[in-house]
Amino acid sequence: MTQSKFDVNNEQMTSEILDAERELNLGNQAQLDAEKFARYALIGDVMRQKEQAAPCIDITASVAAAIADEPVYNMTEEKTTSQQQKHESNVVQMSFWRRPLSQVAIAASVALCTVVGVNNFMPQNSIDAQAPVLQSIPLTGTVAPVSLSSEPAMQSAERGVRELQKQRIGALVLEHQRQSRMAHALSKNTNQAEKDKQEEN
Amino acid sequence: MIKWLSVVLSMLLATQVYANENISPRQLLKDMSLAVQERNFDASFVVVKGKGMEPYRWLHGQVEQTDLEILTLLNGAGLEVVRVDDVVTYFEPQTEPYSLSTDVIDGPIPEALLRDISALDASYDFVLGGKERIAGRPAQLVRLVAKDESKYNYWLWVDLQSALLLKAAYVNQRAEVLEQLQLTHISVTEKPAGQLLELKSKTLPVPVSAIADDGHSKLQNNWQIGWLPNGFKLLKSDRHKLNLNNELADYFLYSDGLVEVSVFVQRPLTGQRASGALTSGATTVYVHNAGAFDVSVVGKVPVETAKSIAESVKRSL
Repeated sequence: MTQSKFDVNNEQMTSEILDAERELNLGNQAQLDAEKFARYALIGDVMRQKEQAAPCIDITASVAAAIADEPVYNMTEEKTTSQQQKHESNVVQMSFWRRPLSQVAIAASVALCTVVGVNNFMPQNSIDAQAPVLQSIPLTGTVAPVSLSSEPAMQSAERGVRELQKQRIGALVLEHQRQSRMAHALSKNTNQAEKDKQEEN
Repeated sequence: MIKWLSVVLSMLLATQVYANENISPRQLLKDMSLAVQERNFDASFVVVKGKGMEPYRWLHGQVEQTDLEILTLLNGAGLEVVRVDDVVTYFEPQTEPYSLSTDVIDGPIPEALLRDISALDASYDFVLGGKERIAGRPAQLVRLVAKDESKYNYWLWVDLQSALLLKAAYVNQRAEVLEQLQLTHISVTEKPAGQLLELKSKTLPVPVSAIADDGHSKLQNNWQIGWLPNGFKLLKSDRHKLNLNNELADYFLYSDGLVEVSVFVQRPLTGQRASGALTSGATTVYVHNAGAFDVSVVGKVPVETAKSIAESVKRSL
């Protein structure tokens, strides 16, 4: 009941303000129904056949609605992520000290290997003259003629492949180095195993 | 005329043999590996690969029956390897240090030369060369000559007084030096260096057992490697992810006693790619695009050898 009364009062106030029968001030501004005010103004303008400079499309409501929706949308998002965080918190804590470090490690070692891969692994003039085919196709060079004659998209794709290949070569060289570290112990073992076998026979 | 020449030649050869009678290359290398294992020394050397140069410091000593060794790469991000008896620990930039149970550091000097030269018999001949002055000391050249042309030769200059290694080089079949190691300084002392004493008191990571699963490490049989140079033996094969880019690879490790060769079989990269080689010093990387898969060979072998190995890999039936 009080609600409808308030509405009526409100409507009256809006109308009065529109007709300049009442002054707009901070006190009644709260009671002003902006939507209705705009609608009344529009009706008035149409009735007075005032020319509209621009078609008046009221999007304030939809914008307001969209804005109102926005925080809700964000809040649900936050909720879910925080839930996920809670869920994963164990894992994160465990590897937290290690993760950023290992990322650096990968980045640094990739850089290191790229340096190895590109600068040091440039084909040297000592690559045998007996293998002229090989000399003419160093890995980084093969793709160059193709990419020169094709579109930028192709070029970047080629560059991507080259980058991958560089990375892969870096990884292979590092892996070879690391695996070689056990070679001596392994070969001793294999020799020992062979000897044992021979003795058994 | 020819007859006369051959007589002179044989006489020359005979005198050379006579002159060198008291030194056997094999004995010299044995002395060298003993010297490296027994003496207290502090050495600096550089490794020259093409235009690149890597300086190292190498310390060795024995403290109360414990064999201690430190090898440090001095340029760039660095690498430090320490050995306490049969445990070798690798300290690398941005990687957790880890230990392996092996009695020799995998550094620029082939392990076999520091330990057991008989591992080289199958693939290399030992040939005595001339005497030279290296690092200010009289040195004797010993050539490890590959028994076939699919491998590089290795030349060593050994100190005639201390039997320590003064210079070494990978040399191709046309006698071109590809990669060399040269001592710039060495001091052989009565007592081990202070750093070694310090090392003895340090706690190092527990060695990763890499040999423990030896029986299972040779399970990889998806691929047939059709050709390898004589003398290469399979040390290990498995399937694992590469450390750096997490790519899966079928992996084979071979050794002929002097050098190691790695063979990787991987999923092919997309895009139009030709097979090709890259070299750095004596190291060759050969990437072979076999269509359905990529084969990469890495090792201190000539490009042709790497190429032949890579092209010989077939899917096993």
